[in-house]
Amino acid sequence: MTDLKAIAKQQKIERVMLAIIAVLTGTMVIGQAYLFVSVVDSIFLQGLSFSDVLPSLAGLLVVMIVRAALTYWSGRTGVKMAAKVKADFRRSLLRKFTRNPIQASFKGQSGQKVSVMLDAVDEIDSYFSQYVPQVIQSSIVPLMIIGTAFYFHTPTGVIMLITAPFIPVFMAIIGMKTKDKSEEKMEEMAAFSGKFLDILQGLTTLKLFGEAGRQQEKIRTSSIRFRDATMEVLKLAFVSSLTLEFISMLSIGIIALEVGLRLIVFENISFFTAFFVLVLAPEFYTALKDLGSAFHTGRGSMGAADKITKELEEKENTVEWGEQDFSMSEPPSISLKDISFRYQENGFSLEDITVELPANQQIAVVGRSGSGKTTLLYLIAGLIPPEKGRIKVEDKHLYDYVEAAWFQQLSYISQHPYLFAGTIADNIAIGVEKEVTRTDVERAAEQAGISGLLHSLEQGLDTAIGEAGRGLSGGEMQRVALARAFLKNPSIILFDEPTTGLDLETERILQHSIEELAKNSTVITVAHRLHTIKNADKILFLDKGRLIAQGSHQELLINTPAYREMVTAQQGGGA
Amino acid sequence: MIHLKYVLKEIVTEKKDIFLSVLFGYLAGMTAIVLFGASGYLVSKAALAPPLYTLAFLIAGVKLMGFFRALSRYGERYFSHRATFTMLSNIRASFFQKLEPLAPRIFQKYRSGDLLARIVGDVESLQNFFLRVLYPPILLILVFLSTIFFVVFYSWWIAVLLFIGLILTGLIIPAWFTIRQKKMESRIREARAELSTEATELLYGFLDLKIYQKLKGKEAQLTNASEAYIFEQELEGKTAMFNHAINSMASFTVSWLVLTVGAFLVTEGQLDGVFLAMLVMISLTMFENATPMAVLPDHLEDNRRAAERLYSVVEESEAETGSSSSKKIPNKQALAIEFEKVSYTFPEERHPAIQDVSFHLPAGSKTAIVGPSGSGKSTLLQLLLGISDPDKGEIYVGDSEIIHISKEDLWSKTNVVLQENHFFYGTIRENLLIADNSLTDETMNSVLNKVELQQFSLDDQVLEKAENFSGGEKQRLAIARAMLKGERLWLLDEPASSIDALTEKYIYAHLLHQAQNDTLVLISHRLTGLEKMDQIIIMEQGKMIEAGTYKELMDKKSYFYHMKQIEKDVLM
Repeated sequence: MTDLKAIAKQQKIERVMLAIIAVLTGTMVIGQAYLFVSVVDSIFLQGLSFSDVLPSLAGLLVVMIVRAALTYWSGRTGVKMAAKVKADFRRSLLRKFTRNPIQASFKGQSGQKVSVMLDAVDEIDSYFSQYVPQVIQSSIVPLMIIGTAFYFHTPTGVIMLITAPFIPVFMAIIGMKTKDKSEEKMEEMAAFSGKFLDILQGLTTLKLFGEAGRQQEKIRTSSIRFRDATMEVLKLAFVSSLTLEFISMLSIGIIALEVGLRLIVFENISFFTAFFVLVLAPEFYTALKDLGSAFHTGRGSMGAADKITKELEEKENTVEWGEQDFSMSEPPSISLKDISFRYQENGFSLEDITVELPANQQIAVVGRSGSGKTTLLYLIAGLIPPEKGRIKVEDKHLYDYVEAAWFQQLSYISQHPYLFAGTIADNIAIGVEKEVTRTDVERAAEQAGISGLLHSLEQGLDTAIGEAGRGLSGGEMQRVALARAFLKNPSIILFDEPTTGLDLETERILQHSIEELAKNSTVITVAHRLHTIKNADKILFLDKGRLIAQGSHQELLINTPAYREMVTAQQGGGA
Repeated sequence: MIHLKYVLKEIVTEKKDIFLSVLFGYLAGMTAIVLFGASGYLVSKAALAPPLYTLAFLIAGVKLMGFFRALSRYGERYFSHRATFTMLSNIRASFFQKLEPLAPRIFQKYRSGDLLARIVGDVESLQNFFLRVLYPPILLILVFLSTIFFVVFYSWWIAVLLFIGLILTGLIIPAWFTIRQKKMESRIREARAELSTEATELLYGFLDLKIYQKLKGKEAQLTNASEAYIFEQELEGKTAMFNHAINSMASFTVSWLVLTVGAFLVTEGQLDGVFLAMLVMISLTMFENATPMAVLPDHLEDNRRAAERLYSVVEESEAETGSSSSKKIPNKQALAIEFEKVSYTFPEERHPAIQDVSFHLPAGSKTAIVGPSGSGKSTLLQLLLGISDPDKGEIYVGDSEIIHISKEDLWSKTNVVLQENHFFYGTIRENLLIADNSLTDETMNSVLNKVELQQFSLDDQVLEKAENFSGGEKQRLAIARAMLKGERLWLLDEPASSIDALTEKYIYAHLLHQAQNDTLVLISHRLTGLEKMDQIIIMEQGKMIEAGTYKELMDKKSYFYHMKQIEKDVLM
């Protein structure tokens, strides 16, 4: 879908319209030259009176105005085509970005992706607003001029016919590199965006390390590289038009020489014919030269289109979800069989996880930092598909269910929930399909233990948070996410438990609320609180990507020395 | 308009290129006029069968002009674009430079996608400011006046006509377009910024959007934003086309009048017929220089908005960072810290975050600050880093009051680990080198060992926001970075909250060893491992309720003792 030529071909109506405009323009160009020359000829050589040329003059005015109007019409058509294509491109990119699996969304820099979506798509504009109309114009108008030249004075037509091909040939030779160069330019632009956004996010860190100055230098270098890449593209364009200028100049010279010789030496041509072909010649070559510069911008757009294609063609092993409805009134059981997952070659991996998670139970996942606890939650949530093995929910494969229906029953409270730019109330209500009242939101906030925070804020629930809003601490963010879960009331809860200390009152509220939630759902928690662990029906003990033990707290204490060691250390006792 | 003066300032620094582009532009414009005028004259002259040598001379001259024109055009384009893009690059760099002191407060006001749109899109649109706003009128006036001066020798009437053409295309029509433009209120810059902002949020919030099945909604929202942006672009494109058409109609009409009046004058015997073709050709060529005037008003308005969006962000920077605190703290020396009756309330909050807190941390001492979340621990750290200034009371670092110390200096002499630490897209090495650019691989590897990250190599990739690292791994990287910095003041805000106790113990041993003679402040939610601290400060609801050594506090069986008992039951 990203072949610009093919897209242009599809726009049949516009192309026909442009062709009609081109034929009319050609007629106007020739008419303008003819009338102009005939006025000069009548006055200057034939010595006619002023009133004799009035009809020609009137005709000339009309022709000139129509020509300007035609240019407008053609440009307008191009602009419309460009708008349509840009919208299509951006839609495909959006579709791609929103369908990406989680692990693909981590790859690359966000700023780069934003740049592709904005700058690269914008760059396509000129292919349709300039190049396509010009190609049609330039393949019709010069032909009409050549025809006219042949009709009035064959040698001029012959000269035009011989010299004309030089222009597209040179244009193609010089323009060859344009596509690559402008792809490089898009690349630099994207790199700049990526760097800027990343540095922006880390500005506080950089300042604390006294590194802002050096990053400023990086931004400056990146910005200069972008300038240089832009100049590379432009230089090509300038050289191209210089060359085409030379070619057309020489050709017009030859035409003038031939006509001049006939006019003066051989005296076998009229002034009218001589002047007429001399006025037509520049129009002929201008039409071709314009094709040259349009060709250049067109190649530039193709470079940008390639960049977009690369982004679109990046293969991701997306999973297809099924058709099976998932409307659980009861919390489901989940079973994992021989699940393996690896982030990238030689990267961290989870291996051969087999476990039964009975319905309505509380499961705790424990293990040292980096042992794969979060990855396991991702797999169970259906956020990343396993490489091997299968996940069953009740008696069906997880991926047989309708995606939306599954997520509607699931709450995932991650370690770093993202807060969207908006109010606290908006952020709490985000997960819910059904209508919610203000009271519902307030209750969810209270259950999640953030009413204390809300009371201290002047605007309470309506305080703006997220980007361009008030910053929240890690623990506060998690509790906002927890409030989302309370509002949603799901049948499966995945919870990456907060590690930051809560005050005792909040702790008590939370404990109670989570117990409430757990009554009607299967809860799987990456657990740090002893309370969660002790209360868990089953504990999964992970180490270096492997499930080395499962069972209750007591069982693991007795049977698994590594677990015992970890628990004692955590409680501050000498291990 | 005021904001465009900043852009103007940047342009002026490229004097030489600007001079060259005007020079070449003028030459190109004039040679073109001479070229076409001469060829009109040439063919008319030829009709009168003059001696061949005069013609040969003229033809050679015309050809030479042609080459000269092509080269001048090249020079004009080259220099004007080089000036422009150098200027853009400078604007980007200086925008960032002004933006930097505003962090982190700026993020409470602007969204990062919006800032990105400003530094990329808005700056990009400023390229037109020189190329399409400042430059065309200069050239137009130079070329027109020179040409009219030349034409006066042939016919006053036609010179007057051309002058009217100049006023029409250079002044009246652009003025009319300006009024039209004002009425339309193009929102193109805002539409682009909105698309950029929402696209950034889609990428940053992807995981949560997916979990809450909001991707479809976001996609729809973004599609709308994109369509709104394209609509504005389309409108702009159509307006530009319309303006062009009006402008060229005007130009054509003037050239037509030149022909008509010229023809009349010839029949009246007031003008030699041999010049008629030349004058019309001159007129047609001359008006090519007026074409850019058609889109000038659009670009001017667009640039005015872009400059406003760009500079309004950083103008506040100049206002806000007005207070200059320039005192430096001594190098490589452990410093004492003193809080005296310090109070602080966050803007838009009802209750103070810190109330009347006083304590003294001797040089080289180790202090832990503990207390429940929301008790003001992190706020104490913010005050200590000078990120916020206290409402009441004084803070001393060494002998100087903190408000007099240069923040950059203070930060450069502190090893900080925050709750949230940023890592950059790149490698582990690049992220550690931030601490000190001269570090060797050997040193970095040994520190990675100390924080139990020996399984990673310095060349390992770090994805955006270190998404490929677990919470605990990120914290360990942050600790490694602080250890590598090697300054004598440590400020650690829950540095090990996601690290399991075994690893934590091991890392703390290294940390305390390295910091044995330094001043260290550790904010902790965990009460284990605090026995080695010289002092423990307990915060609750913004107040300091207890302080003492581990032993003292335990012996007193006070608040700390109770917390400790509860922790045993709650946390693991």
